[in-house]
Amino acid sequence: MSLLLGFAGISFLAVLQSSLVNHLRLLDGRPDLILLAITGWALAGHGRQAMLFGFVGGFALDLFSEVPLGVSSAALVLVAVLVSYSEGRFWGVHPLMQLAAVIAASGVFYAAQLASLGIGGHSFDLPLVVNRIVLPSLFLNLVLALPAAQAAEALSRFFTPAEVAA
Amino acid sequence: MTQLSSKTLLASALIVLSAALFVLNLGGYLGPAREAIVRPLAGGQQWVSQRYFAAREFLTAPREATALQARIEELEAQNAALQDQIITLQEEASEAVILRALLNFARTSPETSYVATSVIGLDPSPFVRSITIGAGSDRGLSYGMPVVSESGLVGRIIEVNATSSRVQLITDPQAAVSVRLQNSRADGLVVAQANGELQVEQISHEVEVSQGELVLTSGLGGVFPSDIPVGHIVSVRTRDFELFQQAVLEPAVEFEGLEIVLVITNFRPVDQVPAP
Repeated sequence: MSLLLGFAGISFLAVLQSSLVNHLRLLDGRPDLILLAITGWALAGHGRQAMLFGFVGGFALDLFSEVPLGVSSAALVLVAVLVSYSEGRFWGVHPLMQLAAVIAASGVFYAAQLASLGIGGHSFDLPLVVNRIVLPSLFLNLVLALPAAQAAEALSRFFTPAEVAA
Repeated sequence: MTQLSSKTLLASALIVLSAALFVLNLGGYLGPAREAIVRPLAGGQQWVSQRYFAAREFLTAPREATALQARIEELEAQNAALQDQIITLQEEASEAVILRALLNFARTSPETSYVATSVIGLDPSPFVRSITIGAGSDRGLSYGMPVVSESGLVGRIIEVNATSSRVQLITDPQAAVSVRLQNSRADGLVVAQANGELQVEQISHEVEVSQGELVLTSGLGGVFPSDIPVGHIVSVRTRDFELFQQAVLEPAVEFEGLEIVLVITNFRPVDQVPAP
């Protein structure tokens, strides 16, 4: 996929996250579109692009957020590294492993945000944060994980069709 | 091996770049660049959120209105252009209702200057409670200005761009509001829990706090003007071994449905230093 097209798409997802998806709540949790997109794209075998998109998507998210600039970028790059690790031999073993990838990715993403906010002086009641925000968000991410992975797979096939043997 | 190394190299470079962004932003060196990027994105945010509120208005309209809407939709089949016009008019009507309420609120304190603006986004991080509004320094907004709705206190501006600003809600765990209880005249401090629940802390044991009592800003500390409604007391917790009483507060503002807010522009907060 053209990188510029991907950057535009991921920035649009950040706008959607901020103005639309944040209204879809379960308790105080909400699905993370960019996280799902990065995870799906990395699972589709585009690890390097997923890192670049994660960097740009995280940057766009942080522009709309009180989270310090650069934190979501670094977290989403780490997510892309984690998910693309072993080139699909680990997370691609079984379709359900995609859910495990989303759980791991969400863990990295939330831990990075919480740590940066904590260092920045925010105080959290951790059990409450886990019960009201992290677990509901994780649940929503899991609900959307497989459709997101399928959408990423379809996009991947569209942009990089398999070569036909001569 | 080479592929793995190049991937590791790319990841390392991007993480170092993220760290550089973090440090440069803390130092305040990214202001103009940030401004240039936020402006078009805020435009996109405004466009999407207007459509969202219009769709929500349409879906949650009373039954008669829905029936009428169905009738209108039949006519829309014959005239597609009429559809756009109707939706636009409906959106304007609902905005007019909100603006009328805001105007009535503004009339209660004519000495205060307001800028009315729409809410165009929520903080993408679930751990932070802030909103983005569609007005910034171009319309005279600056750091620390209080934000209210027709019902009461919303929060204060913590970041200003040319065409948009970020508002820390009073339900953010980092926010604190000095308040006075209307009947008992006790002072207290409103702080938010991680789940957004508001508590009034540091209420003296010597006062009797009643359920339903109105809580107003006290103006102490100079962060907010006095006498803005913050909420009502829901329950009071008094323990002999604690220095102060605590009370649970129901906020006056319905934060979920915020569409338009007022920024108080002629209030100068005391000792408000913008974050770098």
